[in-house]
Amino acid sequence: MEHPVSNDVKRAEAPAPPAQSPQVTWTRRWIIMSFWAIIVCFGLPHWLLTTSTYRATLPLDSMDWWAQGDQVCAVDEAGWLPQHSENEKAFRYASTYHLTFSLFTPAAMPADWSIEEALNQYVRPLTTALSNVSDFTIETQVQLHASFSPSIAGPQFDAATRDWILQKSDLRGFINAAEWPLSPSIGAGPTMNFVLYVPALEQTPLVIAETGRSTSWMILQWGGVAILNQVGEPSPKLTMADMEPVMLTFAEQLATLLGLPSDAGSFDNRVLHLKQTRAVSLIKSASSTLGALSRLTLKLKAIAIPDTVAAAVDKTLSSLEQACNALQLGKWDTALHHARTGNDAIETAFFEPSMVGQVYFPDEHKVAVYVPLLGPMAVPLIMTGLKEFRSWRQARKAKAD
Amino acid sequence: MKLSFLLALPTTLLTLLTPTLASPEYNEHLHLIPLSNEYLYAGFNFTSTTSQSAYRANNYRYFPRSLGQILQYSRASELHLRFALGRWDEETWGARPRHGRREGGTGVELWAWIDAEGGTEAVEERWSALVNSLSGLFCASLNFIDGTKTIRPVLSFDSEGTSRSTAGSKQLLLHGTLANEVVCTENLTPFLKLLPCKGKAGISSLLDGHKVFDANWQTMSIDVRPICPASDAECMIEVQQTADVVLDLERSMRPRDDPIPRPQPIAEIECDEGKHYHGGDTCYPKRKQGAKRWSLSKVFGSPVIGSCHLSERNDGEAEEKWDISLEVPSEHIVEASAMQDSLTSDDQIRLYRLSESRTQRSDLSLPHQYESGSRLRPQPALYATRQITGHGQERGGMHAVLRNPHPYAQQIIYLETLPWFLRPYMHTLKVNHRFNSTEDKSARPVDVFLEKIFYTPAIDRSRATKVEVMFTIPPESTVELTYDFEKAVLRYTEYPPDANRGFDIAAAVIRVLGSIKGLGREGDSYIRTTSLLLPLPTPDFSMPYNVIILTSTVIALGFGSIFNLLVRRFVLVEEIPKGPLAGLVARVKVGLGKLRGGKGEWAEGAGGAGGAGGAGGAGSANRAHEDAAADGEARRAGQTGVNGRVGEGKDGLTNVERKDR
Repeated sequence: MEHPVSNDVKRAEAPAPPAQSPQVTWTRRWIIMSFWAIIVCFGLPHWLLTTSTYRATLPLDSMDWWAQGDQVCAVDEAGWLPQHSENEKAFRYASTYHLTFSLFTPAAMPADWSIEEALNQYVRPLTTALSNVSDFTIETQVQLHASFSPSIAGPQFDAATRDWILQKSDLRGFINAAEWPLSPSIGAGPTMNFVLYVPALEQTPLVIAETGRSTSWMILQWGGVAILNQVGEPSPKLTMADMEPVMLTFAEQLATLLGLPSDAGSFDNRVLHLKQTRAVSLIKSASSTLGALSRLTLKLKAIAIPDTVAAAVDKTLSSLEQACNALQLGKWDTALHHARTGNDAIETAFFEPSMVGQVYFPDEHKVAVYVPLLGPMAVPLIMTGLKEFRSWRQARKAKAD
Repeated sequence: MKLSFLLALPTTLLTLLTPTLASPEYNEHLHLIPLSNEYLYAGFNFTSTTSQSAYRANNYRYFPRSLGQILQYSRASELHLRFALGRWDEETWGARPRHGRREGGTGVELWAWIDAEGGTEAVEERWSALVNSLSGLFCASLNFIDGTKTIRPVLSFDSEGTSRSTAGSKQLLLHGTLANEVVCTENLTPFLKLLPCKGKAGISSLLDGHKVFDANWQTMSIDVRPICPASDAECMIEVQQTADVVLDLERSMRPRDDPIPRPQPIAEIECDEGKHYHGGDTCYPKRKQGAKRWSLSKVFGSPVIGSCHLSERNDGEAEEKWDISLEVPSEHIVEASAMQDSLTSDDQIRLYRLSESRTQRSDLSLPHQYESGSRLRPQPALYATRQITGHGQERGGMHAVLRNPHPYAQQIIYLETLPWFLRPYMHTLKVNHRFNSTEDKSARPVDVFLEKIFYTPAIDRSRATKVEVMFTIPPESTVELTYDFEKAVLRYTEYPPDANRGFDIAAAVIRVLGSIKGLGREGDSYIRTTSLLLPLPTPDFSMPYNVIILTSTVIALGFGSIFNLLVRRFVLVEEIPKGPLAGLVARVKVGLGKLRGGKGEWAEGAGGAGGAGGAGGAGSANRAHEDAAADGEARRAGQTGVNGRVGEGKDGLTNVERKDR
């Protein structure tokens, strides 16, 4: 392999590089193959392992099966279920309800009410009867100088009837959410609000338009409002007699908000029906949450699924099973209990905080940070790999020829 | 002493009255003191009580429901919450209002007695529930008061309430501070919502965020405590809300639609005609004598609307009910509109009662007074300042100076909450004193005997340091308390977005024991120093990415070299097979040579060699050519250039290793 070195030679036809021994070629190929083997067998799994989120396996099939519809529990076919469905004003079922009774007045009077006695007479009998369905806490408050929200037109004086008329469109904004302290109670469970509004003397009597002097209404899944028009001089304290019509309204509103059917005969019968509808609605709600969770995990591949969620799903599935069995056997209390357990478990699992954290850390982000490493390493690896592959194919072709 | 009695009135009066109160009560009043001639102190006080049975049954009337349910949920029997902004200027304004018992350090301060049942963990859970719910209620970042900002003081605070202790019930005191919270309007609105009249009637209608937070010093407090009379009468729960402000009269009286300070029109300026240069075109403004003119409606932006008299009037008490008290010299003229006025027995304090009407607008106005309005204000118990000393990013020192101006010794308790990243060296703690009258500054200060020290060391990222020291300051002397500390280095993610601003260190709380004789525990007064800013070493926050990129590049470089050494084949330059580009490159070079005309021959020769070496040769030849062209000897230079390139080629060749063998 001697090459005379001079300008003349260079100008002439360049000599081909010397042939390589097959041993050298194969050594090179082995080297490239081992690099690729390390990358595929070690690097890639390592990358996936360190950048992936933990996803516990969920029984997606059974979850979807429950979510499919009403026929699952074979509940609706059974003739014993009351036909009237739940009214939409009712709250969703909860193991604890907080009841807040508030007296609001734009004036400084009345500043006191006989609420404790009124509650004992009109509200506590109802909550005691329902105590094995849900727990109730009761709070009361007096709020003076409560003004209307500026977003509503406010009452208009009707000279013909000498009434102050509140338009129906104003009922929606009657509760001045920004200023009236009606924050929900602390602790688990929803808060039902019952607002007794005593209008100022100069705006009395206050009635709702187009309802035949009605003075009370309900707000969807929030509570009830009643207006108490005082007769004569405003008294500093509302007596039991003053409050009787309002408290009856509140008791009725409470029954409706709890979903107690109004046309099911005796009170015990009504409570029984309430339990049935509650159990069924809880099963339905838990099933639909199961379905939602299943769809969520399929749709968002990047979110983590901790083991607690998987455990909660298992618990829900078994609770729903038991609730269904109990329903078919007519054991309402057991059914309600299991349905409650299942629904609570799946609700907690669905709002598991650690599932949300990872959503905003997409794959592109992970790769982008390591581009300065991956880029310069990938280019020679891929180029030499391709080149060697091509030369190997050419060599084979040549051999075949 | 009259003044101090009045300022302490809300607490003392109620303690006396409560045994006789059977029904829930509410009262409010406003105390006004012009401080020097420029400033006005206004102290709002709102107190409501409820019986313990109504409180337990969750029947709220004047006691705010939102606060009541939080306290019951977290099982707190006594609560003290403070929001503060600005600095009380002791040198000119004298002693603090309410003996400093209703004010907090800059930011938010909270302490509460919580039911200790269930052990430390249960208490911490209740404390966490308390701060989180209060955070929501007051729109403040109270939820950031976690373990690292909570301490358990031993000496500094006493329970203000009286409760009948039932067997086995134990209360635990927890204290948290949030020095970096900026108190603002969003904290005042929920404060007003807790009041029965909600800022719509009575003196609370004066509380307007624009004025209150434009004050030089401002503090809001909420104190809940149980009061059990000595007799068998029912216990009461009392909530006292106070808002104290010191307003700059001139600034707060600027009209709202034109808040920019402007020079007065020349016609309104009173000129000093005694100056010799006074003339038609020059005016030397006369210094205003006496007290400034002011009125409530101008200072607070609106007059008092209506009144908030909610309590059932008992004939016996009715004459003690007043809404506003004003402390000015008796010879001053005060015009009150729509208010009943009366004087206290010694003519020092004027009392005003608002009319019962709901919409009546009442106002107080003081015309310009020729006598100075400022009376000698009582001296504070102590003057206290605190600074950080030292330099550098690693170490520093704390330096507190407490000056006792009185001719008697005072026993004090000094409390500090330090964040864990400030690590004090307790062995360097020195407390010594020097008499104020000492002229010789080089005289050795005398050590002060430390009667008690309660110290809880910090645990990194989970607990704050507490230093509580009890000692006596000798009469008319200055005590210096110093210690050294080390600054910890935080983790990258622990820095706030404004890391270079520094970290707030909560105010030191100084309790002066029984400075007012005969009042016992009630006579204690509190003083808080200003909060401090601690600069910590801050990293460059793009650092992690720089590190990743740099390391990645180094690794990729190393990988590339090794990989190439392993898989590349080494051949002679001439043996490199010509790629598809080589022909193109040669043609471009020929074209370039032609562009340069006759002088292109050698360039073409150089370019013909091909490869990287060829390009380098052409470059050097070009340079040589340009130099030579200046001399007018182009041809010779061209040859030199070619020869030089060949020489390079030779050297390059001998260096090539023959790996193939």
